Amino acid sequence: MTGLAIDDAAWASAWRLRSPADKLLLSGGLVLAALVLPAWPGSLLVGLAAVVLALGPARVPARTFGRAVRLPLAFILIGAVTAVVQVGDGGLGWAPDAAARAGGLVGHAVAGSAAVLLLATTTPMSDLLPALHRMRVPDAVVEVASVTYRMLFVLLTSLSTIREAQAARMGHAGIRNSYRSSGMLAAAVLTRSWDRARRLSDGLAGRGMETGLRVLPEVLPSSPRFVASTVVGLAALVTVSVLA
Amino acid sequence: MHIAEGFLPPAHAIGWTIAAAPFVVHGARAVVKEVRENPESTLLLGAAGAFTFVLSAIKLPSITGSSSHPTGTGLGAVLFRPPVMALLGTVVLLFQALLLAHGGLTTLGANAFSMAVVGPWAGYAVYRLVRRSGGGLLPGVFAAMAVADLATYVTTALQLAWAHPDAASGFAGAAAKFLSVFAFTQVPLAIGEGLLGVLLFRVLVVNARPELERLGVLRRTPEPDQAPVPEPTPGGER
Repeated sequence: MTGLAIDDAAWASAWRLRSPADKLLLSGGLVLAALVLPAWPGSLLVGLAAVVLALGPARVPARTFGRAVRLPLAFILIGAVTAVVQVGDGGLGWAPDAAARAGGLVGHAVAGSAAVLLLATTTPMSDLLPALHRMRVPDAVVEVASVTYRMLFVLLTSLSTIREAQAARMGHAGIRNSYRSSGMLAAAVLTRSWDRARRLSDGLAGRGMETGLRVLPEVLPSSPRFVASTVVGLAALVTVSVLA
Repeated sequence: MHIAEGFLPPAHAIGWTIAAAPFVVHGARAVVKEVRENPESTLLLGAAGAFTFVLSAIKLPSITGSSSHPTGTGLGAVLFRPPVMALLGTVVLLFQALLLAHGGLTTLGANAFSMAVVGPWAGYAVYRLVRRSGGGLLPGVFAAMAVADLATYVTTALQLAWAHPDAASGFAGAAAKFLSVFAFTQVPLAIGEGLLGVLLFRVLVVNARPELERLGVLRRTPEPDQAPVPEPTPGGER
């Protein structure tokens, strides 16, 4: 358990050992399809494909996937309703094609979110960061991102421990106390992050590793069958959506 | 407030990515230069990124009864300057999209533009203005954090309005709609985040003075053998 359900799912997924490039091709293709294809039936097909693949072959727990899909839903629904409410001379009203436009917006957004989640729940961040390196992102930036990923779990643990201790001492009873405690909590986590970084840096320097935290990337070979199925599946999805 | 995946049409998604790119590249250059000069800063910058991510996990009680999460971009701009924040903010947005399902990949450019570019720059500008006009550290931090939050929210609302103009009143009507709908959560959040910043800095001034001096937020105090060091008093910084 790391405290982030999506990250836990990614490490435990049946697709964990598949090549990140293969999974990027599949999810990236689905994300683009969700964005470009008409909402009916394109978004529905993309959403279905992402959910079926995640819960089926990738064996992502349905609860984790469901919860994660629900998170952006509040924004999507509020945004879609706001977009189709019309401001006219007579006050507020529905735009002429409100239902279709709102449906299209929600469809694109939910399908796109599900496609991103398919990648997120099957591929840990540490597998994706080397891909940034191949996309010619400078090494220094990829290293900063790697350190961010590795350190955020420590800080999340600190955060929940300190918050628990504050709550046990009535630190979050009432808005005034809660704000004071939140300020101290943020300060404590920030100073701990500096302290951690300094200690990590000293430790690495002591071992002669002064240029950063270099680790060997795990070799996860690409599967020609997976790639072929992805290409065929995406082509079928596009054809059906365009012809329908 | 991040724009969810798929919520922007393709042209807007590409356009905002192109708009954010120069700032993020500029930030990446600043980071590469910093790391080349001081290799150990990789870890400090990574820690800063992790802290910005973790800050969004702090729940701020809101006057309206709900709770909201700070964005931390104003704080990052004061501590690490806007160019570095453009890069760190984008990295954090990528992590939020992939670890929290918050935001998206095709909307990363638009979100980076509002949260990692406009927010930090607006917050930092106001911070400098307050400090230069004789305002203390704490009023400066309050203004920076509140304005960074408000600027991010206004930019996001305008991005949404541009992408989804109102059927009758066009962009202006849509902007009014999105600004007012999200104002319910975002305006209290901006004030709350400003307050959090003040409380945070009151602790930092006492507990992490050397770090704040190193980052240039506080002026260095004279060496002990040259002049007596006054006791740091929270809120008394100029």
